[in-house]
Amino acid sequence: MKDTFVGDLLKPKALGNPTAMRQTFAEYRWEFVIAVMLVLAAVWATTLSPYYLSLDQLLFSSRNLVFTGIMTLGLAFIILTGEMDLSLPSILAVCTVSLAKASQANLPLPVALAGITVIALMMSAFNGFLVAKLRLPALPVTLGTMGAYRGVAFIIGSNVGYTGFNNTYKWLGTATVGTSPLPVMLLVLVGCVAIFWVLMHYTTFGRRCFAIGNNSAAVTYSGINVARTKIGTYMLGGLTAAMGAWIFIGQFGSSRGDNANGVLLGMITAVVLGGVDINGGRGKVLGVLLSMLFIWTLRNGMGLANIAGPIEQLIIGVLLVTGVLVSNLTTRGNWRPRTRKKVIAGPSAP
Amino acid sequence: MKRGLAILAVLVVVASVATAAPLRIFMNPKFTGLSYFQRCALGAGDAAKLLGVQFTYTGSEQPDVQLQVQALENIVSQKADAIICSAIDLNASAPPLRTARSKGIKVVTYDADSAVDSRDFFCNQMDYESAARAELDCALLDSPEGGEIAFIAATPTSPNHMAHFNIASQLVKTDPKYKSLKIVALQFDNDDEAQSVQVATNLMQAFPKLKVIISSATPTVPGACRAIEELGKQGQVFATGVALPSTIKQYLKDGSQKAFFIWDPYWLGYMSMYVAKDAVDGTLKAVPGSKVDCGKAGQFVVGKDGEIVYGKALFFTPENIDQYNF
Repeated sequence: MKDTFVGDLLKPKALGNPTAMRQTFAEYRWEFVIAVMLVLAAVWATTLSPYYLSLDQLLFSSRNLVFTGIMTLGLAFIILTGEMDLSLPSILAVCTVSLAKASQANLPLPVALAGITVIALMMSAFNGFLVAKLRLPALPVTLGTMGAYRGVAFIIGSNVGYTGFNNTYKWLGTATVGTSPLPVMLLVLVGCVAIFWVLMHYTTFGRRCFAIGNNSAAVTYSGINVARTKIGTYMLGGLTAAMGAWIFIGQFGSSRGDNANGVLLGMITAVVLGGVDINGGRGKVLGVLLSMLFIWTLRNGMGLANIAGPIEQLIIGVLLVTGVLVSNLTTRGNWRPRTRKKVIAGPSAP
Repeated sequence: MKRGLAILAVLVVVASVATAAPLRIFMNPKFTGLSYFQRCALGAGDAAKLLGVQFTYTGSEQPDVQLQVQALENIVSQKADAIICSAIDLNASAPPLRTARSKGIKVVTYDADSAVDSRDFFCNQMDYESAARAELDCALLDSPEGGEIAFIAATPTSPNHMAHFNIASQLVKTDPKYKSLKIVALQFDNDDEAQSVQVATNLMQAFPKLKVIISSATPTVPGACRAIEELGKQGQVFATGVALPSTIKQYLKDGSQKAFFIWDPYWLGYMSMYVAKDAVDGTLKAVPGSKVDCGKAGQFVVGKDGEIVYGKALFFTPENIDQYNF
């Protein structure tokens, strides 16, 4: 299992060195496969509908990537540590209806955003506390908070919904760069991908997450505070939900208790298909990004060809099962040999 | 000179080929699985064949606003000529329709309206007051001495259900014909038949003197009938409102229910296709008083804010239910 450390950046480039090149390919094998699948999906989408391959259409439809994509990045971190959080979409809904209340009270946008950030951090920290400090199993706990937070969203938002957001609130979800069709929120997604990429692969925090996902006991005995790191990942997830909520209300112009009610399956599929091991300890932001794009391409193509929703669901579900299956097959050493020579702490010798 | 004529000839041919391409009109219901909407689509499809329009019926299979927004955005991306849409939420479903209009796509709502500035025309099956009166008239048929009545709507923002309820509330207070009726509750079931059984059961348990359950939603009325049957309250509590005849035929036959009504969704869909095509051709403008000929569906007049009322209600009783097979 090879992750990238800061020390590796200082090594001489691998180009021209066949062994190093082969190692890099082996390391990125999963991402390469997803990239190929992405290209094939794009080709398929082009054959499905003549309206697919147009820059305007792609940019317009890329808006559907964003709020789910940002939450998927947060979820990837949580799964990387070997945990799970099913409640992120519910936290997003609590944030959207809270923004509605703030809008009704005519609060200035920064105040409203600060408010939902606090709310999201508190809700996700609570998840983290239950899972990391009280050592409760993540799946039933976050399943429970998923339901509870959804209930909170309905209580705050009721099922009437709110559509009176002013243009300042809606700016991020509607703005484009100048007069071009490039949505500003797409740039936000790109920025988040960059930030998460650095966080996961080039910081101590990221390294600890990999370590905890691999062998949480060893990490504890080496003196690192595992609970604090895990709670950190949950709170990071909460932040992504708050950001997603701000984008959501601009994109849809409305908020209701049932917002983001069906996005969880797609999120988990994107993470697992992206090469993040469902049990933690392995994965790359690049893989998650590519699989997000892959699922988006499939959905976009099918939507333009007017293919029914249930078939879409079926395909996404099959992809999730396939992702878990293939991921498990490779870790059992059938295809990809696990290189145990990398030690967790410290840069390798030159 | 000759070259100029040749170029002109080519342009004429190209122009005629371009205008000969069929219009592409998409129909997007609240959700695709409901037989009511499927019947509307049948009517719209038959009208499309007569008019030479390429017709596509598409949408999500669940009544979810986000999914409807995405379906509408997909239709816009496919450069439709017109969209015929039944909006889940008056305001929340409106943004993609506004985008469509800004791109020159004509928008016609049917069955459930969206915000006035987001559509060109609204094909209303019955004007809201007639529908509310029809519901109250059926309630009086069920319970001539009046009594407590309750309403079930899909959601607090379903445009037509809430309009019917609000007008009915007014009529009960102001019109002497309905003064024996008293509205005690308004509940919601999200257009889900299974949920409607639960909601109706709750209503009967919460209000023991309840006489009639009324709903404007076609999945809800049969659900309420079933709830009455399950609790064994046939003859004490009645359900009425808008329902497809095939779904309530058994209840009229076994005597547990007395009256329902609906407009034939086939003709509503048929009419909306004619309206959409005329809107695209530019022959129909949203000026009150404009006439529109919808072929076999009939002739109609545009009212205020682009609303065109179909208005032909059919009442079902045990005597006439056998005549209808949809």
